[in-house]
Amino acid sequence: MTFQHFWDTYALMLGKAILTHLGYVFVAVSCGTVVAIILGVLLTRLPKMSKFIMPVLSVFQTIPGIVFIGILFIYIGMVPKTVLIALSIYAVFPVLKNTYAGIINVEDKYREAARGCGMSSWQIMFRVELPLAMPTIMTGIRMATVYTVSWAVLAAMIGQGGLGEFIYRGLGTNNNTLIIIGAIPAAIMAVLLGHGIDRLQKAVTPRGMRKED
Amino acid sequence: MPWNRVWEHLFLVLAGSGFTIIFGLALGITAYLCPKISKAILWSVDVLQTIPSLATLGILMVLFGGGKTTVIVGMVLYSLLPIVRNTHTALNGVSPAVKEAAIGMGMSRLYRLVFVEFPVAFPIIFTGIRISAVTSISVAVFGTFVGGGGLGDTLYRGIYIQNMKLILFGTAALMVMAILMDSLLNVVEKRLFKHSMK
Amino acid sequence: MIEYRNVTKSYGGKQVVKNLNLTIADGEFVVLIGPSGCGKTTTLKMLNRLIEMDSGEILINGKNVAEYNPEKLRRNIGYVIQQIGLFPNMTVEENICVVPKLLKWDKERMHKRVLELLELVGMTYEESGKKYPNEMSGGQQQRIGVLRALAAEPPIILMDEPFGALDPITRDSLQDEVKQLQKRLGITTIFVTHDMNEAIKMADRIVFMSGGEILQADTPEEMLRAPANDTVREFMGKHVAKTRMDDPALHCGDVMKKKVLTAESSKKTLECLELMSAREVDSLVVVDSARKYLGIVTIEALRERGEAGRPITELLDTSAPTVQVDEPAQQAFGKLLASKALNYVIVLDEQQRVVGIITRTSMSKALASVVWGVKK
Repeated sequence: MTFQHFWDTYALMLGKAILTHLGYVFVAVSCGTVVAIILGVLLTRLPKMSKFIMPVLSVFQTIPGIVFIGILFIYIGMVPKTVLIALSIYAVFPVLKNTYAGIINVEDKYREAARGCGMSSWQIMFRVELPLAMPTIMTGIRMATVYTVSWAVLAAMIGQGGLGEFIYRGLGTNNNTLIIIGAIPAAIMAVLLGHGIDRLQKAVTPRGMRKED
Repeated sequence: MPWNRVWEHLFLVLAGSGFTIIFGLALGITAYLCPKISKAILWSVDVLQTIPSLATLGILMVLFGGGKTTVIVGMVLYSLLPIVRNTHTALNGVSPAVKEAAIGMGMSRLYRLVFVEFPVAFPIIFTGIRISAVTSISVAVFGTFVGGGGLGDTLYRGIYIQNMKLILFGTAALMVMAILMDSLLNVVEKRLFKHSMK
Repeated sequence: MIEYRNVTKSYGGKQVVKNLNLTIADGEFVVLIGPSGCGKTTTLKMLNRLIEMDSGEILINGKNVAEYNPEKLRRNIGYVIQQIGLFPNMTVEENICVVPKLLKWDKERMHKRVLELLELVGMTYEESGKKYPNEMSGGQQQRIGVLRALAAEPPIILMDEPFGALDPITRDSLQDEVKQLQKRLGITTIFVTHDMNEAIKMADRIVFMSGGEILQADTPEEMLRAPANDTVREFMGKHVAKTRMDDPALHCGDVMKKKVLTAESSKKTLECLELMSAREVDSLVVVDSARKYLGIVTIEALRERGEAGRPITELLDTSAPTVQVDEPAQQAFGKLLASKALNYVIVLDEQQRVVGIITRTSMSKALASVVWGVKK
């Protein structure tokens, strides 16, 4: 197969698949993050409940994404919404866990100083606790993103496109070219997004909070 | 209920974890002994974990064909990071006083590594092993796509024939496996740490 | 004016502040001091309602603090804590502006205030304004901590062991700076510490607390002159050099020199002669192997009666004046004046071991500290 032939055959499909894949990741991570941060903040306000909820969440996190996609597929059907909801749910866990841990681990002296300055509980949350927890939250978002790129491959399992389509079809028909066409961009996408978030995290972390490494 | 899939899954996990521990320790120790290439090693295993498992498995399938070997190799590549990173960090974290004492007693480099530094660092290394083993349980699910069997098969079939019971069975089995593995290793880990604190 | 009226606070059935009454005048620097667990920090924190009292009332200029919204109250009371607690995500400037920002000052006013405050502690905006806390030393950080508390020009400032975590030199200079600032700005200050030296240095009035009650509230001078009871005296004794010769609390142990040239009784004459000439002294205190006092040996005795190689115990002079370490210093003073032969008195503990000597020099130093307040 010449390059020209290859390009003619797959370029358009591949472009579309990459965009679809990115779309899934972006929507799922955004929705998941918003939900996770809200829930995470609420959980820190309910320390007694959190004692039970956090371990349960850790257990849920071990459920593979394929399960969410599978179950939602049965209830919702073969539509993009299924993929988006499943991936969003999956993206919630790491961010939620890290938001909670990040806020809980803020040293008490900062809370006391903030209270002493006359901040209300919400002001303390937004001006002190969340900013100080931000590096941890970003780590959670990075995990969520990388996982989501991975699990979005499964969208193809229920015919919803993305890079998984090539891999899936390739695996089914023993077509190595197809597998590689899907796998390589997916790998690159995950690495680039992970790297991008690392850069973003460094950029948004104030100099005063950067750890020397 | 397909109990044989559970055993198959367990086999994949144990085999994968076994190889991961061997290669992970080797890479971690290499990274510690050769600081020049430590960055390259850590970066590589980090990237390996970032790449979607199905993509890794797909590429491996091109190389090895379908079957359990491919799944196990994929699991090893995917789960290396925690072990390599913790081994490297823990060995580097051994207090200089301990290292100096060992040198002062005239121990050789290898002897020091095996009988002093490694045992001191082991609790943290074990934490890496625990994380890696638990991770590999969910990675093995992808095995179904490259003909590796395991609980991934159960889940996939459940979805394919839209059988909720089958999906829930597979999920429950995975969760139980993850929890048991985690708690078991956690107990061991706590003992190790308790010992090292004394 | 701040008034504590019958203020009580308990934790789990244990009263940590008992029916406390205290009035603090405007511009006064009050130091709350006492052993740990005496209720001083609780007393401090009830003022800005970081801790809510169980009963009683605290009035600021006649208005009960309970009537304020706690957040608004705190914005008008500066607060400095031991752990400094500068926000690591904010620059020095942003840290200083935390309270002004809560009070919605405009940007220009805030910036002007930052310049003003930094100048107060001899820092420049160019050098420090954009720095983050982790780029500064502990002492610099706490300077900013104090400025953060002063930023919104509060009439009152609370300090909870603010210098407890700093090294002695930094602590000393920050104490000076804060005291000067406080005087110049006329801010009513309540300061918690367990360090009596710090209290004496900073306070207009020291409030000594123990078991949740005020045992004494007086000026540092009065506190030193007439401690209200043994608890206060003992606490001060640990921290402050005693300053009155007629004070029965001033003992020989307080004025003695601890370095004593001693020789064990097994030594021979020539060794001792050698030792004396090396240290340029004219007598040695002779002790046994348990450091028990046996007597002294003088250079005259050695010269006149000493034979090379003979044990010094043969030359022992046991008439030298001695005092016990816990005897009043006056005793030593008397004996020192009475003794013509020797220019020091030997200080012994209960087991008759030599623990020090009092010379004319150490005596005059102790006297000087009384007359001119020179520290030992």
